[in-house]
Amino acid sequence: MLIYLYDGSFDGILTCIFDAYYKRHPDRILSRDDVQLSIGDEYDFIETDEKKASRVYDAVLKKISNEAQKNAFYVYLSEDRNSGTIIYNYFKLGFKLGKNLDLNIKDEDVFKVQEIARRVSFEVHRFTGLLRFSELNNGIYYAKIEPDNNIIMLLAPHFKDRFKDQRWVIHDTKRNIAALYNLKDFIITDSLSDIPLSLSSREEFFQSMWKEYFKSISIEERINPRLQKNHMPIRYWKNLMEKSL
Amino acid sequence: MVKFKLAEVIIVDVREKLRILSDAAKYDVSCSSSGSGRKNKNGIGNASISGICHSWSDDGRCISLLKILMTNCCMYDCAYCINRVSNDTKRAAFTPDEIADLTINFYRRNYIEGLFLSSAVFRTPDYTMELMIKAVKKLRGEYRFNGYIHVKVIPGADRKLIWQIGLLADRVSCNIELPTSESLMLLAPQKKKEDIVKPMGFIKNTITQIGEERAVYRNAPGFVPAGQTTQLIVGATPERDVSILRLSENLYNTFKMKRVYYSGYVPVVSHPNLPSVIKTPPLLREHRLYQADWLLRFYGFKANEILDEAYPDLDMELDPKTTWALRNIQLFPIEINRADYAMLIRVPGIGIKSANRILAARRASAVDYALLKKIGVVLKRAKYFITCRGKYYGEGAFNPDSIRFRLMPNSKDTDLEQLNIFSLIR
Repeated sequence: MLIYLYDGSFDGILTCIFDAYYKRHPDRILSRDDVQLSIGDEYDFIETDEKKASRVYDAVLKKISNEAQKNAFYVYLSEDRNSGTIIYNYFKLGFKLGKNLDLNIKDEDVFKVQEIARRVSFEVHRFTGLLRFSELNNGIYYAKIEPDNNIIMLLAPHFKDRFKDQRWVIHDTKRNIAALYNLKDFIITDSLSDIPLSLSSREEFFQSMWKEYFKSISIEERINPRLQKNHMPIRYWKNLMEKSL
Repeated sequence: MVKFKLAEVIIVDVREKLRILSDAAKYDVSCSSSGSGRKNKNGIGNASISGICHSWSDDGRCISLLKILMTNCCMYDCAYCINRVSNDTKRAAFTPDEIADLTINFYRRNYIEGLFLSSAVFRTPDYTMELMIKAVKKLRGEYRFNGYIHVKVIPGADRKLIWQIGLLADRVSCNIELPTSESLMLLAPQKKKEDIVKPMGFIKNTITQIGEERAVYRNAPGFVPAGQTTQLIVGATPERDVSILRLSENLYNTFKMKRVYYSGYVPVVSHPNLPSVIKTPPLLREHRLYQADWLLRFYGFKANEILDEAYPDLDMELDPKTTWALRNIQLFPIEINRADYAMLIRVPGIGIKSANRILAARRASAVDYALLKKIGVVLKRAKYFITCRGKYYGEGAFNPDSIRFRLMPNSKDTDLEQLNIFSLIR
């Protein structure tokens, strides 16, 4: 089996796809970080090349659709081990079928791509709600999240629009990356030294008010923990003060 | 009539106030924050067209807004209401400043999507509305808050005040409370039907009028961009489902309501005019009403198709679409690869999303049975009403009784359905 290895970036996947068309078609495209070499397979480490990547990117927009490009990026953000291969197969079919690619849900790869993309965008939607800022004593609002998918760059624009006038940090502690907003723009960074986390003097008061509200808004005759967990899975509770008691 | 004396009842501790005034607001079921696209104009906050849920309370209901009463001090004595004047309960009142401050601080921490401000009727309807307007004005003005605001219109309040609040809020609602004026007379003698219906008409007309103005002058101010809603209590009075559903249809048609909410009666107070036997709210009935309501709003059904004098109540064992299909079995089975959208969505087990996906998939190639499952069609129900590339997949004889028997839930399924009652409410 011929396996292309990329450096873990989205451009890396696109470069592999470029080379697939100009060199040889691989059976799989995997990130070098999560591959265990085995004797029977042939490996080719593909150096990420921005020019090649952007040619694939443009070709997808021109010959397939914006939606396909977006879907593929979402699949990449899902960090699914097979995302490289799935995107490759999806685009391969797309270059044949053109803009109607996404109608072919009978095709397994198309179906899988749409399913993963839906899951990622659902989690983005969820986190527009299930994210809690705490006010630090330097005036910055800080939030900790641990999403299943790498969604911080999809979340940041929402919070930039909404909290234009407040400096904030969204910290994905699972991947140790953060989005920082300075009242003008946000950046995504992985060089986080020490974020001092001393809370503002009012913070505790508002957290306790929120917990009070959370308790009293529930109707006792209707208690339904299963429904609650369906909507708000337990894995998210850790960073929700109303639940992490 | 027992009257409370204001001086001795007002609670001062702000946490205690929050507890009392959110506890008293929670029977208003609406928590939706959808329908408004208000932008952040150099301040804080915006609205999201599809709405955002920020948490789910222990009863599984979504928390989107800070749902709170201005005060629970009420001059009325509505039998079903926990805040009625003759009820011995702790009384509290927020100041407009406190409401605005709490809202903005919850919002900045992303706890909420905005504010749902309601109130008991304190002194007079106008006085109460003025307090509410003050709170909302402070948010929109001083705090430059562009998040979602839903305000309850107090029955009997002056038009000018409704006009003012409509310019500030994203959504307003006046609760119709009970399905008929007889029931209203019996349980809420001080609320008059005109006091509830008049503002609805005024709001609808103003929305239309302002819409026309905005078509010409793009910068004319907006009036309740997310429209108006209402709520009625189910199970406190003897109305049949058919009159409730007709009422809802009427409210949607006449007043262009965005939503009618149904609140299964929770016995919060005992009263000689109220049923005393129910210990738990009629959750299943409420659920069926929401399903029927969905059929009215999204599936092209008329109230008379779902219920009529011969079938005055919703079937507790099967959902209303299935019941309708069984009564109209001559229309089925339909062929998945040929039926139009309007018919596809009338098939039990096919929703709006799956109907759209069937239509999309049909453009690429014929849809086969395996694909229906992938698309998300509930085949357990749908298979009795469809053919797929000419083949019928249902078991048993093709007649209403046989199909009904096979679709009857076993006890386990009923539990599941109970659990999902609130999954529909947004």
